[in-house]
Amino acid sequence: MKVLLEEEVLTDNNLSAKFNRDLFQTSKTLVINLMSSPGAGKTTLLEKTVAALGEEFRIGVIEGDLATEKDADRIRALGAKAVQINTNGGCHLDARMVAKVLPEFDFEEIDLLFIENVGNLVCPSGYDLGQHHKVAVLSVPEGNDKIPKYPVMFRRTEMVILNKVDLLPYLDFDVQMAIEDLKGINPESKLLQVSARTEDGLDEWFAWIRAAYKQIEAQ
Amino acid sequence: MHEMALMGDILQLVERDAASREINQIEKIELVVGDLSNALPDALEMAFTVFRARGIGRLSSNAQLIILKEHAKAKCTVCAHEYEPEARLTICPECQLPSGRLIAGETFKVQSYEGS
Repeated sequence: MKVLLEEEVLTDNNLSAKFNRDLFQTSKTLVINLMSSPGAGKTTLLEKTVAALGEEFRIGVIEGDLATEKDADRIRALGAKAVQINTNGGCHLDARMVAKVLPEFDFEEIDLLFIENVGNLVCPSGYDLGQHHKVAVLSVPEGNDKIPKYPVMFRRTEMVILNKVDLLPYLDFDVQMAIEDLKGINPESKLLQVSARTEDGLDEWFAWIRAAYKQIEAQ
Repeated sequence: MHEMALMGDILQLVERDAASREINQIEKIELVVGDLSNALPDALEMAFTVFRARGIGRLSSNAQLIILKEHAKAKCTVCAHEYEPEARLTICPECQLPSGRLIAGETFKVQSYEGS
């Protein structure tokens, strides 16, 4: 017999994501899913964020990597609670992996939760983790062609943090082209130019986080 | 390469439904895969072959995977022109405004399956 199923492949993931989202909503925790290629600077951006906002907000971090606790250790060194997920070869985090580690946090004690996804511009884009916001990090050495080459990622994120802008004078990255490409792929998205290393532009990122947190608090 | 994980999800969905209908042998699975779903048909085929060779669940040893590709299509919200989107997919080729919205190409679903 033939059965017409017509069911989304990610049905189960989306159910777990809803469970996560309900928990985040109830505890009024702002959750941001950060995605990028490996080496774009997600962990450095988070280190600077924890250092700058650690007194203002209680911050938790979930680190997704194939192996090692290296990233979680970098965050813990700054005094924030960090839980490492090792995917053992898996190229993305899914909502079930996140759901599994949520009991390690006390959500009454956390205002902001960052989920640093596995470094990859393809696979993580498809998985809803229950986050409030999806943000992509792109770095200057990767080249401005990454936006049109990975349209799904840039369509499904609402902001692109262009990191390592301190290297712009030495490389061929065309910022104007990146802005135009992004507008053509996702007119609602915006590009924020920062250098996590020199801390240039980070104030705008922090202001965005504060505004996003206010929205969650007001709900 | 997340197609192994995706195929695991697909087989789980089908398996669950088949169990509820007392279908014991799954002979065919039909998917709809959009150009912009970020799932590669070739890699899905390969993952399917791996699962089939392992004799997972109710999958018959000569079960078939059929992939129906859904091409990306956009429609302009200003001039209503329908087009096949290129890299800057929201730019309408008729009026040049960033007012195009995808109307097809992101689907990724299990359409149907056959078994006995």
